[in-house]
Amino acid sequence: MPKRKVGALDKVDADLSNLQYKIRRDPISYKDDFEGQYSQYEHRREIFLQAPSSATEDGIVSFQDLIYFVAHVADCYPQHTKQFPQDLMKILSTHHEELELDLREKIVGSLVLLRRKGVIDSSTLLHTLFPILISTPSKSLRALLFQKILSDLRTSNANATNHRLNRTFQTVLYNLLSADRASPKGIWAVKLTRELWKRQIWTESKAVEIMKEAALADNEKVIVGGVRFFLGGDKEREELEDESSDDEAVDMGRIKHQMAINKKNKKKARMMDQAVATVKKKERKKKQPHPLNFSAFHLLHDPQGFAEALFSKHLQNTRSKLNLEQKLLVLQLVSRLVGLHKLTIMSLYSYFIKYLTPRQPSVTSFLASLAQATHNLVPPDVLEPLIQKIANEFVSEAAAAEVASAGLNTIREICVRQPLAMNDTLLQDLVMYRKSKDKGVVMAAKGLLSLYREVGADMLKKRDRGKEAAMGLRSGQRKEQRFGEEALGEIEGLELLEKWKEEERQRQRIEKGLPAERESDEEKEDEEGDPGDWEVDEADDTDGSGGWINVESDKEIDISDSEDDKPRVKKVKLDSTTAKADEDKENEDEKAETTAQKPSTLATTRILTPADLAKLQELRLSASINFALPASQRKRAAQAAAALQARHADDPLTAAEIEGLASLSKKSTKADKIALSRAGKGDESVHQSTQAKRKEKKEALGKSTTNREKARKKNFLMTLGKGKAKGKRSLVQQGRVLKAHVERGKRGGKRGNQGK
Amino acid sequence: MGSSAKKKSDKKKDFKKPKLKVGKARPKPTNFTDTSFKSKSIVLAHQSLTTTAPTRSSQFSHHLSLLSSKSPSQRRDSLAYLTTAIASRPVNGPLPQPISVLLPKLNPLILDGSNGVRSQLLLLLRVLPSKDIEPHIGQLLLYIRAGLTHLAADIRSSATEILLWALETCPDELVSCAGGWVKTLKCLLTVLHWHEPTPKPAASGGGPSSNWTSTQAANLGNAGAKGRLPIKTLNALAAFLRAGLVPAPDEHENIPFQSKWPFPLRHVECHMLPKRSNAFTHLNLFGPPRDEEGEMYIEPEERQRIFHKRFQRAVNLGVEAGKREGGEVGRATAGVGKAVEEGMEGVEPDI
Repeated sequence: MPKRKVGALDKVDADLSNLQYKIRRDPISYKDDFEGQYSQYEHRREIFLQAPSSATEDGIVSFQDLIYFVAHVADCYPQHTKQFPQDLMKILSTHHEELELDLREKIVGSLVLLRRKGVIDSSTLLHTLFPILISTPSKSLRALLFQKILSDLRTSNANATNHRLNRTFQTVLYNLLSADRASPKGIWAVKLTRELWKRQIWTESKAVEIMKEAALADNEKVIVGGVRFFLGGDKEREELEDESSDDEAVDMGRIKHQMAINKKNKKKARMMDQAVATVKKKERKKKQPHPLNFSAFHLLHDPQGFAEALFSKHLQNTRSKLNLEQKLLVLQLVSRLVGLHKLTIMSLYSYFIKYLTPRQPSVTSFLASLAQATHNLVPPDVLEPLIQKIANEFVSEAAAAEVASAGLNTIREICVRQPLAMNDTLLQDLVMYRKSKDKGVVMAAKGLLSLYREVGADMLKKRDRGKEAAMGLRSGQRKEQRFGEEALGEIEGLELLEKWKEEERQRQRIEKGLPAERESDEEKEDEEGDPGDWEVDEADDTDGSGGWINVESDKEIDISDSEDDKPRVKKVKLDSTTAKADEDKENEDEKAETTAQKPSTLATTRILTPADLAKLQELRLSASINFALPASQRKRAAQAAAALQARHADDPLTAAEIEGLASLSKKSTKADKIALSRAGKGDESVHQSTQAKRKEKKEALGKSTTNREKARKKNFLMTLGKGKAKGKRSLVQQGRVLKAHVERGKRGGKRGNQGK
Repeated sequence: MGSSAKKKSDKKKDFKKPKLKVGKARPKPTNFTDTSFKSKSIVLAHQSLTTTAPTRSSQFSHHLSLLSSKSPSQRRDSLAYLTTAIASRPVNGPLPQPISVLLPKLNPLILDGSNGVRSQLLLLLRVLPSKDIEPHIGQLLLYIRAGLTHLAADIRSSATEILLWALETCPDELVSCAGGWVKTLKCLLTVLHWHEPTPKPAASGGGPSSNWTSTQAANLGNAGAKGRLPIKTLNALAAFLRAGLVPAPDEHENIPFQSKWPFPLRHVECHMLPKRSNAFTHLNLFGPPRDEEGEMYIEPEERQRIFHKRFQRAVNLGVEAGKREGGEVGRATAGVGKAVEEGMEGVEPDI
């Protein structure tokens, strides 16, 4: 039997924290004390409920202290405190407007504490806090509740996704938005969803549905919140991920080096351990399969309906209360939806007409939206008047250079997406602007020219067509594209890959001393015994995560490319993490069967490994460059091609791109030029010599100092004794010192460096 | 020109900073002027003895407002002032302020941290007329109960004293107000650590927790209270039980019915206007719904029933254990036992 503790509160009279500490250590012994305090809490609650609004100046133990105390020890006496959480919730939900600030915070904190201790569950907590969040007039309470709700959702989703909780909470948010569309309370649903989306806690279509509902609300704030989410939510998410991944770059080599040199102590050892841990964690993270996060646009159900509703509700509707900026945001969203999903909203294009004048505020955004809303299924006759208007209003000798270049850029961006919208007289007219004096205009006109050399050379004048296009026209290789025509789906450059493989195989066989042609039974072993083919050579294995294909049975799949094998229907189960290229390939498979043409059978007869795909990419790039260019220009062309590829199809077209090189046509002032040259040179406010800077850098890197530097830094008092003694040496002593100096010089320093 | 050493030092003097030292008086600035003076006597030109001195009632309300002052001595002094003001009013005259104004100010002082304030408060309460207190006893009881279970022993002790006073002043209203019976009783038993033994058979099999509950009842007294508290609490409990369980002797009871009311009248008292204030409170028409604990138990029979149902066993057990202890505590406990016996005399256990 343990030693009995008599008189729990003998020493300290009114010390709840002391009692709390003792209770936590031994709940059974202090049960009576707890009961007393719990009944004290109950009485105080009754007193409090008599007049909740009045600030109770209550003596030595305040009500909030009691609440905190009970919350802290509630898990020790579950049957006594059964009613406690309900009481707190009731107080908070009925009196939150009139409660004292401190008490209110304490009650919220206690509820969260109870949740952490597992006394109440998450959904109870959220169902209590959320209604208060949307109804309270107090800003500080809202901030507190928002933070608590967010952190609770994060912790409940920390280890594994808590689907049930997420679903109920999403339903609550959705109902909040859909119940009263005009109320500004919906902004909290938007804020919460956006935050959780950013942190990748909610990544499914339900969250997107909430935002869709928000974008179709009646309150401006809610609308803008929803629209901004679609326009920037995914970017925000990516940025957060990047930030979290590269915030702690640890240079292991340097730390190890420093450990070898510097003095060793516990702190340094701990730092080393931490560094090792972070590096390991990072490596583990790198090896984890990439979480497949679809952007909000791709998770949207019924984009056509959504875009139509947005357009008719906020843009076409004359009673819509949105200002220009907000309208532009909505327009951007609508046009992105149209461009991305190839939707058809005919009235959208006529809506643009009245905004296409240079005097319209933020016209470049309108232009960008227009270009964004264009795709190859938009009828050309709808676009033609728009292009005509842009050409008339923007592109003329009288217009300013920026205006002209913006107009030309817009026309080019439209025509990239729908080349048929252009007629030849206008095109020939516009192309003439490449003779302009302004650089921005020249570049824009040249862009248009090079575009039509590829997609519609016959519309250009003969001398503008260029050699390649002219030859193509003459030989009949280039066909006119017709409206609605879809290019044959195939993997671009697959024949290049096939050719390369053949060459490679022949080369290998010649090296081995075999004939270049081979028998069919050899090849299977040959192929299958070559596992190195599977992996990509470079380090970038973003999509090559482990175990990305589950093959159902071995005999059905055949990793060989024997020519006599007939293309078979394959049953390949793809893991969810396989890259997009694989989907393409599947499509390709189906099409290849139906079409009468005979494209390369490579993709239908064998699975393309990540290594193959990487090679394919490389071949494709080099082929496009090598096609016509002289060697001197190849590098530049390669860079341009890479830049073009870097731009994803999902990326929006911005006003800045429409403005293009207009900044070049402005004459920059001297101050601008100086600022431009200064940029990237670092902080010039500190004037230091180069040597001092170097020294500082060396010190910051934790490098060692030279003996000379050490001597210079040596404490003056330490040198004093030696200096004094030096003058008083006897002749014999002096001689000894000199001898020792010579000896030391021979040995090579004080310790000598010979044996090491 | 500043060629000589003297001139140089003179010049430097202008810019010298006075040195400040810890613990020394601050040096006076150079332009300091001494304005102090001495005089043999002080003559006041005017002395205000006018009629504009604050009236009694305004002084009273001023001191009433000082009850929420930060300093304990101030609160105590104000209480003392209020006590004398109330005590010295003409006999049967009205209070300077109505009791409904006074009590909300006085109630929180039951939980006051200072001993002096609480003892002074008791003095003040004693001079208040009991008739006025009666309708507000429910409010007062809330604070008394909070005081009874307070963490500080001194506050518990003085709350017990106040409870005793309240039992003397208006016993009937105290036990019959909302929550006055069950909650107070529960609170008193908690203070005494008299519990119903836990029905768990495993825990009662000689485990340490079950043994301690009975022994703990004795050593409740803290170092500060020197063991007086349980006796006081026991006395309060005895008085409380007596007030609640023993029916008050009715002076009209033994008068024969016919002599009270002539023939055609029957059961007139049922149809007359009630004599109690707030006669229909027990219906609780406007308040939040009450549970068993917060209910009003107006008749002694109701109280007996609920006492029998919920508390009698715990009280009996406690009484037995206390009696075994003997001494002063034993005597006090015996008083409780006697009160229970008297109160539950005619009640047969129907369950």
